[in-house]
Amino acid sequence: MLDKTKERILNAVQKPGRYTGGELNSVVKDKNAVDLRYAFCFPDTYEIGMSHLGLKILYSLVNARADAWCERVFAPWTDMEEQMRKYGVPLYALESGDPIRDFDLIGFTLQYELSYSNMLNMLDLAGLPVRATDRTELLPIVAAGGPCVCNAEPVHAFVDLCMLGEGEEVTNELIDLLIEHKKKGSDKQTFLRAAAQIEGVYVPSLYDVSYNEDGTVQAVTPKDGAPKTVRKRIVSDLDTMFSPSDFVVPSIEVVHDRTTTEIFRGCIRGCRFCQAGFIYRPIREKSADVIDAQCRAVCESTGYDEISLCSLSSSDYTQMEPLIRKLISWTDDAKINIALPSLRADNFPKELMEKLAGVRRSSLTFAPEAGTQRLRDAINKNVTEEEVLQTASQAFAGGWTAVKLYFMLGLPTETDEDVQGIAALAQKVVDAYYANPDKPKGKSVTVSVSASTFVPKPFTPFQWEGQDDGETVLRKQALLRESIHTRKVSLSCHHADTSFLEAVFARGDRRLADVLESAWRKGCRFDGWDDQFRFDLWREAFDEAGVSMAFYANRRRSFDEVLPWDHLDYGVSKTYLQRENERAAESRTTPHCRIRCGGCGADKLNGGKCDARC
Amino acid sequence: MRAVRLWIKKEGRAKYISHLDMNRCFTRAVRRAGLALWYTEGFNPHPYLNFLTPLSLGQESDGEPLDIRIEDDMTDAQILRRMNDVLPEGITVVRVHDAVTKPAQIAFARYSIGIELPTAAAAQAFCEKARALLLRGELTAEKTGKQGKRKVVKQVRICDKVQSAAFRTEGQCVLLDAVLQAGGEPLNPALLTDALQKAIGTDGLVRIRRREFLTADMQSFS
Ligand code: SF4
Repeated sequence: MLDKTKERILNAVQKPGRYTGGELNSVVKDKNAVDLRYAFCFPDTYEIGMSHLGLKILYSLVNARADAWCERVFAPWTDMEEQMRKYGVPLYALESGDPIRDFDLIGFTLQYELSYSNMLNMLDLAGLPVRATDRTELLPIVAAGGPCVCNAEPVHAFVDLCMLGEGEEVTNELIDLLIEHKKKGSDKQTFLRAAAQIEGVYVPSLYDVSYNEDGTVQAVTPKDGAPKTVRKRIVSDLDTMFSPSDFVVPSIEVVHDRTTTEIFRGCIRGCRFCQAGFIYRPIREKSADVIDAQCRAVCESTGYDEISLCSLSSSDYTQMEPLIRKLISWTDDAKINIALPSLRADNFPKELMEKLAGVRRSSLTFAPEAGTQRLRDAINKNVTEEEVLQTASQAFAGGWTAVKLYFMLGLPTETDEDVQGIAALAQKVVDAYYANPDKPKGKSVTVSVSASTFVPKPFTPFQWEGQDDGETVLRKQALLRESIHTRKVSLSCHHADTSFLEAVFARGDRRLADVLESAWRKGCRFDGWDDQFRFDLWREAFDEAGVSMAFYANRRRSFDEVLPWDHLDYGVSKTYLQRENERAAESRTTPHCRIRCGGCGADKLNGGKCDARC
Repeated sequence: MRAVRLWIKKEGRAKYISHLDMNRCFTRAVRRAGLALWYTEGFNPHPYLNFLTPLSLGQESDGEPLDIRIEDDMTDAQILRRMNDVLPEGITVVRVHDAVTKPAQIAFARYSIGIELPTAAAAQAFCEKARALLLRGELTAEKTGKQGKRKVVKQVRICDKVQSAAFRTEGQCVLLDAVLQAGGEPLNPALLTDALQKAIGTDGLVRIRRREFLTADMQSFS
C-alpha cells in the first residue's frame, strides 16, 4: 500500500489518514483469487463518506462474496489532488492501494447534485476518460446509484449505467452478470444491453432523447430492447435483508462515528418538498428483535459506544418503545448511548426518554420549515406552533437555553407574510422562555434561525414548481432579517447560489452534461463546500454553452410537460404527485399514511404491501 | 482498579493516525477486547486512558507508553493477547505491566531516522555537512505555538536539545541515530531533519522511528 511516492505525498498533505486505509474491519483479499474488483466511490471527503450507511452496507455485501472484492475510494481533498497530479499517482483504492482504473466495476454513489463535479474529477484522477463513449473497452464499467440517479440525465454521458433504488439485490445481480461477460470476453455494448434487462438498471445510452423547440423534452425512446420505463428496486423484507455485522472503524475522526442501524424505510408523512419522503416508499419496518440483534453484533465488532437508529421521521416507528427497552437492557451496562435524531416527546414514556442520548444534547432542534400555519399546510408539514412552543417550554424548564429552528425560504405559494411569520415564530419561542417560571436562573436564551432556500426536486409534488430567482431570494432574506427585532434571535441564511445550482441539476436534462464537464475543466469541484464553490466558473460555463440556468431552476412546468425523468419509475405515480401539488395550491393538507393511504402507488413495488397500511 | 501500562508499537500506514485519533482508537479497542475500563466519577464519566508521549503524524514507534485504568483482574498476558486481536493494522501491544514509574522521569528519546537522497554521493555529502552543522551548534527552527489565544512563532535552538547524533550512510540513504530531548519541551525530530535539509539544500524522503525512552541518567524508561 505504502510506496515511496505515496509516503512522500502523504507527508505533504493535511489529514493523511484519509488516504491510507488499513482501518479495523477493512477487508483485504487476494486480488488473484477474485473474479471481480469493485471500487466503491464516494465523491466527497473520507470523513463524509465514511459516515454514510449505504456505503457500509454495500461494502460488506459485496465482500461477503468469495468471488468479488469491494474497496473504498473517496474524493481526494484539493491538497492531495495537487500532490497526486504532481507525482503522477493515479486515484487508488484504500484497501490495496491499487489504481482503480484496473478495477472491473467502479460505482459512484450520488447523494447530492453538488458532488457531480467530484465524480468527473475522480474519473480523471483515475486516469480514465470522463465520457462513457471514450471508454470503449468492457472494463471498467462505471455505475452510479443513490438518490440523485432518480434523475440521472445530467450525468448520463459519464456513467455507463445507473442502479435505481435500493442496492442490496441489484448490486449482486449486476456483479454476477459482469463476471459472466468478463469471462465470455463480451464487448461493452453486449454487456450493457444485457444489463438493461435487470430490473432497476438504467443504461442511458440505450435511450434517445428528442426536444421540442421551446427546449422541453419531446420524447425518450428506448432502443436495443431496453425497457420503456425503468423501475427502481426495493428490498421486500427488511428483516431478512443483508445487514453488515461489522463496519470499518475509521482511525481518524469522521462526521458520524458510531453504529448505525436502520429501523424502517420510507416515510408516512408526505411533506411535499421532501424528496426522501417519496423516493424511498413504500414503508417497510424492521422488527425490534432483528434491530436489537444487529446492534449487538455491530457494537461488539466495532467497539462503538453509540448506537444511532436511522430512518426518516424516526418517531413513526411503531415498535419504538419495545425496541428501546430491549436495547437499554444491555447498552446501559456497557455504557453505550442510543441516539435518536428525531423523537416526538409527546407520546413517549419519560423514564425511557431520560435514558436516551438524544435528549441530553445541549441544543434543541425543530424544523417547522415554514413561518405560518397556512404555508405549513401547503407543504404538508405537520407541525403546529403550539407543539413547537410547548416542547420548547418543556425544554426550557429542563434547563435548555438554546433552540435551533430550521426554515425554508421560497416555498411554493409563499408570501411576505409567511416570511415575516418566521421571525414572529422565533420571537414567540423567545417569549416562551421568559414566560416560563422554571427557566434557568440568570441565563439568556438564544434562538438560532437557519433559513435555507427551497430546491424543487423530481418525484415530489413540487417537481413542476419554479424556484425563486436569485433576486427574490435575496429580497426575502433581507425581509426576514428586517423582521427580527431581538438580539436573542440569530439568523443564518444559506448561500442562494448553491441552492440555485442544485435546482438546475436536480431537474436538469442531458444538455447539462456538457456544461458540467466544462465547469469541471475550469476547476469546479467540491461545490458543496462554501470555501471551494466557484459560482463564477459555473456561470461562465453556462454562458459559454448558451444554456439558461433559469430554464431549469426557475421555470414553472405544466403538468403535461414530458419531464426528463419520466421514463424512470420510483413507484409514486405522476397523478398522485399532481393531486398533491393541486392540494398544496389550495393550502390543503393530506393526512399521513397511517391515518389514510393516499394512494401514492409505491405499494405496487412490493406486491401491493405497504407497512403503513397494515 | 489497577493502573496498567501498555507499550504500543505503531508502524506502516498506522503512522498517519494522529495522537488524538490514537486515543479514540484505543478507547474502542479496549471495549472490543472486553476489558472493563475504570471510569472517572462525576457528571460526565469517561474512561481513563492516557498516552504519555505525543508522537508526531507520520512517525513510527517501537513502543509508546499508554496508561489505562481497569476494573478487572485480567493478567498482563491476557490483556496483551486480547488487545492484539482487535487492533487495526500496524498497531500492536508489545508489553504490558503495572504502571509504576512516573512519566516525568522521561528525559530523552532515541530515534532512528532515514533520509533518502538521489545518490550515494549526495548521502555522503549530507552526512559531512550535517555533522559540521551540529558541531557549530547554530541550527534553529521556527515553531508556531500558542500563547493564550494568540499564535506566536518561537525560535527553537535545536542543538541545545540534541543529546547525541550519529550519522552514517547506506547507499543513497542517510541513517541517523539520534537521542533528543523528550522531557520538558521535547524536540520533534522532524524539526531537526527539516532544519538540516533546509541548510544543506536537499529534499529527501524522511522516515522517523522512535526506538525508546530514556531517563536523565540514560537508563531505559519502562
Ligand atoms: S401506498 Fe399508501 S400508505 Fe403506502 S406510502 Fe403510498 S400513500 Fe402511504
